[in-house]
Amino acid sequence: MTRSLAGHRPRVIIGKKIAPYVLLLPFVLVFVAFLIVPMIYAFNLSLHKTALVGGTRFVGFDNYARAFVDPNFWSGVWLLVRFGLIQMPIMLSLALAFALILDSGLVYARGLFRIAFFLPYAVPAVIATLMWGYLYGPAYGPIAQIAAFLSLPKPDFFSENAILGSIANITIWEYTGYNMIIYFAALQAIPTDLEEASKMDGASAFTYAVRVKLPMIVPMIIVTIMFSIIGTLQLFSEPYLITNLARSVINSHFTPNYYAYTLAFTAQQYNYSAAISFVLGAVVAVFSYAFMLASNRGAR
Amino acid sequence: MTNQKSNGAGFSRMNRRQLLQGSAALGAAAAAGGVALPARAEDKVKLTVWAWTPRTQEMADLYMKKNPNVDVVVENVGQGAPHYVKLRNAITAGTGLPDVALIEFNSIPSFRALNALADLSPNLPAGFGDQYMDWTWAAVSDGSKVFGLPWNSGPMALLYHADVLDRHGIAVPETWDDFAEQAKKLAKAAPGTYLANFGVDPGWTAAVLWQAGWRPFRTNGTEIEIRINDDIAKNWANYWQALIDAKAVDTKPAWTTEWFAALDDGTYASWVTAAWAPILMEQAMKKSFGKWRAAPMPQWQKGGKVASNWGGTVFSAFTTTPNLKAATDFAAFMSADPQAARFWLTEVFLFPVLTELVDDKVLMGHKYDFYGGQPVNEVFAEALTQVDPSFEFAPFQDYVNLQIEDHFAQAIAGRGTLADAFDRIQDAVVAYAGDQGYTVK
Amino acid sequence: MGIVGNTVRSARFRLSRWVLTAILCIYLVYTLIPIFYVVTASTKTNADLFGTFGLWFSDDFHLRENLVDLFTMQDGIFLRWLGNTFFYALTSAIGAAFFALLAGYAFAKYDFAGKRLLFALVLGAVMIPQTALVIPLYLLFSKVGLLNTPLAVILPSLVFPPGVFLMRVYVEEAVSDEIIDAGRVDGAGELHILSGLTFRLLMPGFATVFILAFVAAWNNYFLPLVVMSTSDQFPVTVGLAIWYASATTGSGGNLLFTVVMAGSLVSILPVILAFLIMQRFWQGGLSAGSVKA
Repeated sequence: MTRSLAGHRPRVIIGKKIAPYVLLLPFVLVFVAFLIVPMIYAFNLSLHKTALVGGTRFVGFDNYARAFVDPNFWSGVWLLVRFGLIQMPIMLSLALAFALILDSGLVYARGLFRIAFFLPYAVPAVIATLMWGYLYGPAYGPIAQIAAFLSLPKPDFFSENAILGSIANITIWEYTGYNMIIYFAALQAIPTDLEEASKMDGASAFTYAVRVKLPMIVPMIIVTIMFSIIGTLQLFSEPYLITNLARSVINSHFTPNYYAYTLAFTAQQYNYSAAISFVLGAVVAVFSYAFMLASNRGAR
Repeated sequence: MTNQKSNGAGFSRMNRRQLLQGSAALGAAAAAGGVALPARAEDKVKLTVWAWTPRTQEMADLYMKKNPNVDVVVENVGQGAPHYVKLRNAITAGTGLPDVALIEFNSIPSFRALNALADLSPNLPAGFGDQYMDWTWAAVSDGSKVFGLPWNSGPMALLYHADVLDRHGIAVPETWDDFAEQAKKLAKAAPGTYLANFGVDPGWTAAVLWQAGWRPFRTNGTEIEIRINDDIAKNWANYWQALIDAKAVDTKPAWTTEWFAALDDGTYASWVTAAWAPILMEQAMKKSFGKWRAAPMPQWQKGGKVASNWGGTVFSAFTTTPNLKAATDFAAFMSADPQAARFWLTEVFLFPVLTELVDDKVLMGHKYDFYGGQPVNEVFAEALTQVDPSFEFAPFQDYVNLQIEDHFAQAIAGRGTLADAFDRIQDAVVAYAGDQGYTVK
Repeated sequence: MGIVGNTVRSARFRLSRWVLTAILCIYLVYTLIPIFYVVTASTKTNADLFGTFGLWFSDDFHLRENLVDLFTMQDGIFLRWLGNTFFYALTSAIGAAFFALLAGYAFAKYDFAGKRLLFALVLGAVMIPQTALVIPLYLLFSKVGLLNTPLAVILPSLVFPPGVFLMRVYVEEAVSDEIIDAGRVDGAGELHILSGLTFRLLMPGFATVFILAFVAAWNNYFLPLVVMSTSDQFPVTVGLAIWYASATTGSGGNLLFTVVMAGSLVSILPVILAFLIMQRFWQGGLSAGSVKA
């Protein structure tokens, strides 16, 4: 194996000390240029205030003081907490169940399911929301048409009570397969005692999967929960794109990110919008940190 | 945005440019004359135009044929919000603006507030505005300055589904009182069928309130009067609230496929709308083809003759354009050239703003199959003469629209009434205006 | 792989296998219904789209006309959008995956000053919403004249922190320290070790990050919406959204619902195809430890 390492080409030898910096350089360059610098820029924006009349002036942390007591912002956070409590358990437990089933080989046509479940991830959110929007159509959507055909009341997916579920369904559709693939890969990575496995019938294979394999991918589950928390609190595209269909229940501050968007692009309050974004970032950090603490305690 | 090489700045080049600009001005004066001098490619003036309307490039091509020294590129960067967001971003950045863009009438004050619109008057012949319908010119001009040239308008009328009304013995309403009465009658006679849908649509809301006499904004420099929740608005809100409470109108969002389908199959039997709506309806509707008719907008006073306008656009140039003369000339061509104006009306179905076309009996008398052979433009043309020119939009109309959407939505969802919504909108807009540095009166 | 060796299968095993397969089939239907809807919608006229049952074809089969409209509209701009999307996604994904590979490798196999801080920064960056960055990016790009150029979309897409995270985990699992040490004993330079040997081991991880970055870039809507201002630079997502919106406001727009549906169908097909082709390759990459096992 090591034979190929003896260099056939003479080159500049980079030592162990400098190597990590050289390797990190390209990423850090783009990271700083296109993430850190814009962030600093945004932070600077958040300390100023630009008015149509009177121009720009420095206001310190005024925008943050305002954000902390802005009900439009906090109502969006509260909505997402409720949203996350519905959406995340469903999505992640479905993903986990499918991954366990596929991994334990308890079904036919594994490859088909694997690829088909993952497909929605490849559909842009713009298109996914468009599709579901049509399917939800309260009068002429296919679901309503089927209900009418069966003489059932037509479901209203855009009512105040249903809208969170309707949006949750879109995100479940989009991301269950993605999470499933991550779990599946983690499960597959666990070395299996084939001899032991070969002796098992269906029931004990499943028991084996739950008792033995599941605990081993807990770190991966924690990672996906973290990413889901972050993704949930930043929810924007789906409600934004479905607004036209559900105008009476989705307002311009439906989620914090939606609020930041309308503040910046419709109300021309770039400065306040930037402050809202940073407060949202802080909220995300708090939730993530709280979850990390909780999961660490649970692990002990 | 010109292709002229900046390093070749010599005396002769300056002369040639002046000559070109002179010829452009001549072209404006002689409208269809096509007085243009042959020019070498590198001397071409390049104009970038942002417009979302279909077939705009065709008339731009015609313009280039008549003005070989100008190169016009039409870009569609979106319609409605995306278009304006892009323009505002470019204004903030100070670069990337087109030379000319389409702007709806209700957005003119917003862009003027950003000092982004160029004054076109120095390059327009005297009396240029006389050819336009009064209110359209009033909307673009401010004493001597001109911030855009009107292109098309949206005079309003009542479109109705004749079959549905006949079937249930509903009379075409002449007044809003009739309208309410017939709406209740229809809802009773045919449950699930509505005379109208009250969707949350700020553009429509402003337009029908315009007819009622609502004048929410008076801007004078940095001073602004805000009267959003005046008596007119409250009456109007109570009127619709009563219909909503009686379930005599539906309250689904507008502009969705569902909503188009409901108009098509007679679930919604009428739509108070603008002259540009028929073209959308023709594309979306099959079942109701030939069954639609147009009638004048319902009146608040019996025998009244007041209409309104919804939408409509102007061509504006931006202060950043290095080719203001050419931009003005191009806007003038698109707006007022007889050949172009006819094309917009007959081919693209944009309703005209030129008195000459509105008065043209042949053009306005065209019979449409979609309307069972009714010459509907006659109705719209009459409406156009009944639009009161004194309506002003806010210099931050997008924010106002956002508030209308949010608070109407709440009322429709049953949290408070429409009248309450107007109070909340007033409060929010007053606070916003103060925050933006205006002196609110 | 799994545990379906030469099992002696009981009747109960087979039964549970059929039951579980049936359950997955229900979810399969759920997964495919919206996609099927796009298929039927692309075959309809606007009027039929509104007026006929959504999940079946109408009598008036209009797919060809919709496709012709799609590809001839605005002088065939849709093809250009597809090309743009492909170009942006490909360049972004190659760059992002390569940078993530190098950075992830560094995080996994070296100790250096500021390692913890830098890694925390990279992960923390995920918590700042994109809306906060788009306006500063716009203003910065406008200063250096990059607005409305492919670079305005590609450069920010090169930053893909989840890729760094995944690569770090992957490298820790897939490349043992012994291999690297062996290389060092042979006197090979650090970069040479990476390129010479571990690169081969790293391919699956690279492919995983590549496809995730590719999908992210392919689906990108918000950034190009803001930084692109001529239609010849739009990706498919922005172009289709603009066409869709042309029916939802007044002032003389065109009604393009079915064309948008046909466009949606055409634009998701290549990604589905790419998935099918690459699935073996990149699923291996996600199962990091399987190389070790």
